[in-house]
Amino acid sequence: MKLDVPTMVLDLPLKLSEAIAIPTTVEDDDTDSAIPAALRAWLVRLRLLEGVPFANLVADSELLPPESIRWFYLDRRWTDALVMGALSVGTVNSDDRTQLTAAYDAIRTELDQEERNARRHPGQPRFGGTVDAVSGFILRSQAVSGWPGLHVRAMTIDPVDEADNRFVPEDDPNRMRLLRLERLAPAVLFCLFDGIPSVVHVEEPRQGVQFGFDPGQVDGSFSYIPRDVNTFADLEKPGGAPVRLDVPFRATDGATGVIDIQQVQKDLVALPATHVGASLDAAEYALQLLRFPYRQVFGDPRGVSIGTVFKASVAYAKQVNDTFKLGGV
Amino acid sequence: MTMQPGHFQLYTKFSPALTAGSYKFTTNQNLAAVGKDGALGASDLPVARLDTHVTVTSPRYLLPPDQALSTYPPAGTEGAYGSRLPQVVIKRRTLPWERAVAGAPADTPWLALVVFAEGEADVLTNVDVAQCVTSGVTLPGAPDVAKGSCLSIRKSMVDTIMPTQKDVPLLVHGRQVDLDDTELMMGDDDGFLAVVIANRLPLAVKDSDGKEVPVKYNACLVNLEGQFDQLLPQAPPHRRFTDHLVLETGYYQYTQAAYDQKVMGMSTSATKVGLFAHDESIDGPAAEPADGPAADPAEGPAGPGTGPAPRAAQVATHYAATVTPETTTKAYTGSTSWVAGKASSAISKDVAISAVGDSIILALDPVLRFPVLLRWSFTSVGDATFEQLMKNVDSGLLGTRGVTPVEPVGRAALEVTETGHVGLDQRTRRGDLVRAWYRGPLLPHPADLAGPRLPLAHTGDQLRAVIPDGREDLSLAAAFEIGRLLALSQPSMVAALLEWRQRDYQVARGHAIWDGIIADLGIKGVAMNAAPSLGVMLTRAFAGAAASAPGAVIGPPRELVTPGAPMELKGEGLATVLQHFGLDVAADVDLPVLLRTLRETEVPRVPLVDLTRPAANAALTSALRESHERIVSQFVAGALSSQIMTRPGLPVGLPGTPGLPGGIIGGVPVLPHDAPQDEGADPLDRALHDRTEES
Repeated sequence: MKLDVPTMVLDLPLKLSEAIAIPTTVEDDDTDSAIPAALRAWLVRLRLLEGVPFANLVADSELLPPESIRWFYLDRRWTDALVMGALSVGTVNSDDRTQLTAAYDAIRTELDQEERNARRHPGQPRFGGTVDAVSGFILRSQAVSGWPGLHVRAMTIDPVDEADNRFVPEDDPNRMRLLRLERLAPAVLFCLFDGIPSVVHVEEPRQGVQFGFDPGQVDGSFSYIPRDVNTFADLEKPGGAPVRLDVPFRATDGATGVIDIQQVQKDLVALPATHVGASLDAAEYALQLLRFPYRQVFGDPRGVSIGTVFKASVAYAKQVNDTFKLGGV
Repeated sequence: MTMQPGHFQLYTKFSPALTAGSYKFTTNQNLAAVGKDGALGASDLPVARLDTHVTVTSPRYLLPPDQALSTYPPAGTEGAYGSRLPQVVIKRRTLPWERAVAGAPADTPWLALVVFAEGEADVLTNVDVAQCVTSGVTLPGAPDVAKGSCLSIRKSMVDTIMPTQKDVPLLVHGRQVDLDDTELMMGDDDGFLAVVIANRLPLAVKDSDGKEVPVKYNACLVNLEGQFDQLLPQAPPHRRFTDHLVLETGYYQYTQAAYDQKVMGMSTSATKVGLFAHDESIDGPAAEPADGPAADPAEGPAGPGTGPAPRAAQVATHYAATVTPETTTKAYTGSTSWVAGKASSAISKDVAISAVGDSIILALDPVLRFPVLLRWSFTSVGDATFEQLMKNVDSGLLGTRGVTPVEPVGRAALEVTETGHVGLDQRTRRGDLVRAWYRGPLLPHPADLAGPRLPLAHTGDQLRAVIPDGREDLSLAAAFEIGRLLALSQPSMVAALLEWRQRDYQVARGHAIWDGIIADLGIKGVAMNAAPSLGVMLTRAFAGAAASAPGAVIGPPRELVTPGAPMELKGEGLATVLQHFGLDVAADVDLPVLLRTLRETEVPRVPLVDLTRPAANAALTSALRESHERIVSQFVAGALSSQIMTRPGLPVGLPGTPGLPGGIIGGVPVLPHDAPQDEGADPLDRALHDRTEES
């Protein structure tokens, strides 16, 4: 074996550094950090208001009546104060506080950045930069309890004008990332966006193809729009309004919700525009009953004054008057 | 044909080539031949008939788990499914048509999906398959499982909720989906699926106040074989609305004595049973069904005999006939009893109480059994559609009050300012009750991102603020406290924070100890501080320094072979050598003198005259033989040496001797016959020559 002494001596430190594990390497996505990884992950979740009592989010039940959606911006100062409170647990004496004061700016900057990476998909590149505005909504509705697994999408632009591209892919540049989407209660959905969206879609969960009817105005009545079995188009009246047929139900006592399919067939056969012919077959019947997931679009309507979307019960002018004009005028 | 993405195709049916059952294929062959004597007879060339037996199997009592691709509504879920028809998707497309249904037109499916609320029918599990069908009906052929489940349902309920004979074919269809659409494929292999739809909307139940009550529905995929004629042949009259099931709670009331008679099994007809369902004269609180056994405190603890009192005649009859303490208790644990609300025509108590035997009921309204291939349950909470709910949702910024303001009870009216602050009652530390402002993290206006961030606070009180109207703004102080309490509530987080603090101290201590030492070490080119990795850094710095100047730090490397000490021709060693040669020569003289002395010294020999004759002969013979052998060897080796030399890779000579030209064979120097004779001097002669020249 030929030994080259200088080479061996130069290789030695490399071999040594490979053999010795450096204990300070953070077992996480990133290497240097101002704060331990476990603590940072928890503080990021705290900044996204995880675990904060609902009464502290919405101070009065009247602010979130049943069947309502309430939009909001996230207050940075409030979440900063939340993190300060959590950090204060680790300070025991004034030395600790001095130390924390010195390190606080770095901690806050790091949390700002990590907050953006909170819902990052594994494998996607990390997001850099500081956190921007965060907004979101609280939805209190039967729709939350009755349709578990709602899809929520936020867009920076309204894709309505574009082609008939029904499904916007996950990595579309116009799609805004969700920082948090969680059911706080069976009927309360809490959602945070990384930014301020211009359009938000709330879509019915897509559980395959469904069959059913539309409930009518009167309780217990249902209707459907018959379709042309050749073109799958909804039938329209001459004016353009859709034809609506009431669903026949069995009149037997106790037969709640049982559909009289024979009468459905008669109804459809009576409409020549459906092209069902003399009798209905199973595929034609299924075609009439198909229902697709509904997508509710919350957009940015033009020309809406702030008064219609936000009504304060205490006006600023009145407050000033009450406060500074003692005795009233 | 494959489907385009986003498309699927509906088929009325997929008929199998053969329905399930046993088949016999019969093969006959007739041979005929004409010979010299004319045609052979029919029996002259007999060919034996070949019978081939084939059995086409198909699930009958149990749907294999891999065949049910999906059920809607999903099993075990709760949701507003009231406007959607339950359905099940089956993997094998021909399955619903694989069995022939007696009494039905060809290609009628043998499967139907029955949806019923709890109490309308029962599902019996772990029943022998022979008992899974109504008594009297037998299904021929070998069953696919030994025990199965069955739906136990009264004929009247079959007429009420199950599809009619004409409905059954319309409720099953086939579907072809895009193979790449995983959502529609649901794990299928060929893209063809069969779908069975129910004929009933799972509407939520309403209680007597008209409020919707969640109700658990069962969906059963049943086998109609052999019992197709039990379905209604024609649809009963229809109407353009349906009603909700109504949950009602009624009570039977016994007197103490009547209850005792019940317990003792005395005649039920003699028992004075009062049916006071929804009667104003009922006394005792209207308890929930689950509280049944303790319904009426006035009756004492012996009064558990309360039971549901339905209002519809048909159901009421059932209960009147089965009023016994045992069954009433059972009815309670079932906790529900459904009757049609619209059909609440009051029936006379006499009819309800009239003693109708079980056998009569059984004859009038027999219980039918259908094998259940698949069963799941779900809870329906209403029939509102997602579209309706989302269109009517009240949208606004947080802080907006509802459309219908709530009249506050026991508290002040809601105060919301334009900034989103809410006025709340606050109990100060001194005990005063004042109003304070609070605003959560959710703002009705964009947050101030450009402004300076909140400076670090160490206690919540540092974030309290008093605004000009005299009230305190506790928003941030409350946030601080929430954060502190949340951290304290998790011991792991407290531990992490304290460990972090401790580690900071360790780093500080390391700095205090190491900072001066590192500077003194003077390791060039490596910037170091007292990090936890100091040991590693020091190792690297040392190795780097050693690599840049190995001679200075480590020293020259050792030779591979250590040379031995040179032998000197003087002193004791020389004396020993001379002594052992038997030379009496002084060794402590200069080398030339010694050599001259040696040359002049006579070599001691054994005088031949002293030898005996045989010894002299032996010595002479030995000397001659040795000389003779040496000369022979030299000649032979010299003659062969050029060939020996040409053998590749083989050193000539004895092992261990260097492969020189020539060599030593048998101790004799070999001189190749064609090798040039080296006339060079002997090294010893050369040395002597040099010495003599010098001197």
